[in-house]
Parts: sequence; C-alpha cells; structure tokens
Amino acid sequence: MTDVREDILARLLVIVGSIPNMRSAQRNSVDFPEDLLPAAIIYDGDEESRDGTDLSMHPSNRPSMVHMTPEIIIAEQANEVGSDLTTLRRELVKSILTDTQLNEQIVKTGRFGNGAIRYLGCQTDVGWMRSMYGALRAQFLFKYALQPDQL
Amino acid sequence: MSHDFGTLLFDPAHAILGVPATLTVGTNPAVQITVIDHTRPTSQTTSSLEVRGVAPGAFARIPELTAKGIERSNYDGASLSFNGRNWTVYSHEIRGSPNGEDQGDVRFLLKAAP
Repeated sequence: MTDVREDILARLLVIVGSIPNMRSAQRNSVDFPEDLLPAAIIYDGDEESRDGTDLSMHPSNRPSMVHMTPEIIIAEQANEVGSDLTTLRRELVKSILTDTQLNEQIVKTGRFGNGAIRYLGCQTDVGWMRSMYGALRAQFLFKYALQPDQL
Repeated sequence: MSHDFGTLLFDPAHAILGVPATLTVGTNPAVQITVIDHTRPTSQTTSSLEVRGVAPGAFARIPELTAKGIERSNYDGASLSFNGRNWTVYSHEIRGSPNGEDQGDVRFLLKAAP
C-alpha cells in the first residue's frame, strides 16, 4: 500500500518539527496554548485531479496526477515577532523544497519522476498577547501520482 | 450635590484589590504605586488555529500617578513590575470618572519586558 498524500503530510510534520528553535509541531491542531510557541501546524490540504475533464475510455484505475495544497501555520510570540517569523519562514521553505526524502522518494521530483513541489506564498497575522503574537500561513503545492492499484 | 467617586469608589477598590507595583519611566527613579492586576485570557485566531494566552493589564489611579510626577506622556514605554512579573507599558486607555478623567483610572496595556 502506498498513499503518497499521507506520506507527504507525515513527512511535512517531521520536517517542520526539525526546524531550529521550533518548540512544537502538530498536525491539524485547532486549539493551542501559548506555552508551546513557536509552533508549526500542518493542515491537510485539498486534493484536486484533472480527471473531471477526462472522459476518455482510459481504465478508471489508471494512474493520474493530482495536486495537493496543504497549509502550514507557524505561530510565535516575541518582542521581535516579525524577525522571528521571517527566520522561521526561511527555514520552512528551505527545508521543504530541499528535503531529500520528500523530493526523491515520496513526491519524486526532477529526475526521480514527474512530481513537483512549489511554494505558493504566505500571509501573516499579528496581535497582542503576552508579547506581540505573529502567525504565518504558508501554502505549498504538491503534484504527485495517484495510483489506485497501490492504495 | 456631587459625589467624590475617588473617595467612594476608587480608593476602596484599590485598597482591597490593589497590589504594590514599581513604575519606572526612562532613567528616572522608580516610584511605588498601587495597581489592580487586570491580566485576562485572550486568544488569536489564524485560519483554523486558535492560540490561547493572556493579555496582561493593570489599573492605576491617575491622581496617584500625577502626584508622583508621572504624566500621561510618560505612560507608554514605562516599566511596571507587580505580582512577581516585569512588564513594559505599550499603550494605555483612560477609563474616566464622573468627576473627570483626571480623577479616574488608567488601564495600562502591557507586554513582557525584554
């Protein structure tokens, strides 16, 4: 059984958890105490295929390419929260786009297959708590093969 | 007949709920005042995530501050210590009084001291 979607999300959790100075990493958490900041939370992303426009006679169990767009939130509170978020964002983007296991074994980018990983962008929120609170929402796109026979 | 809300309301409230605090403005000598700890729960929501924390705050009496040489222009940026924690005033709000805003409370909005 190979579920690339799950493998990607599981690997993302490992990657964000290894970012320097990240205190906690969780998946799909919606309620977080400040004691665990800085934190990274992986939200399972929407998955889309192009099969809706492909009504040919290809067998339904043939492999196809799908896109997933998970969201990652990095939250922190600090007096210089903007600089902290910038640093964490830099590590986040670098870690995901250069992770060997993610690129070569799971998504199969470049010479390893026809998968792809793209950084789509980020948005920020700020507010006051004990210190200045800041959150950065980053989106990535993963293109990979969905192989029904291997699910 | 007007009432003195300082005597009737603010003095007793600060006498019962107040705690000793040290306020320092810039390089001036620290002054001892009484504040009411008004630290409250707060949360920040980003997309699906809600992060829970606290919003530190403290009430102080404007007449006491004025009598000790602390003017309104000195509030923001001052250091405030009470209940075992050290804070910096990043903003404030005047809470008013029926006897005039200068006779009421100010609520200091606090952030953790660096």
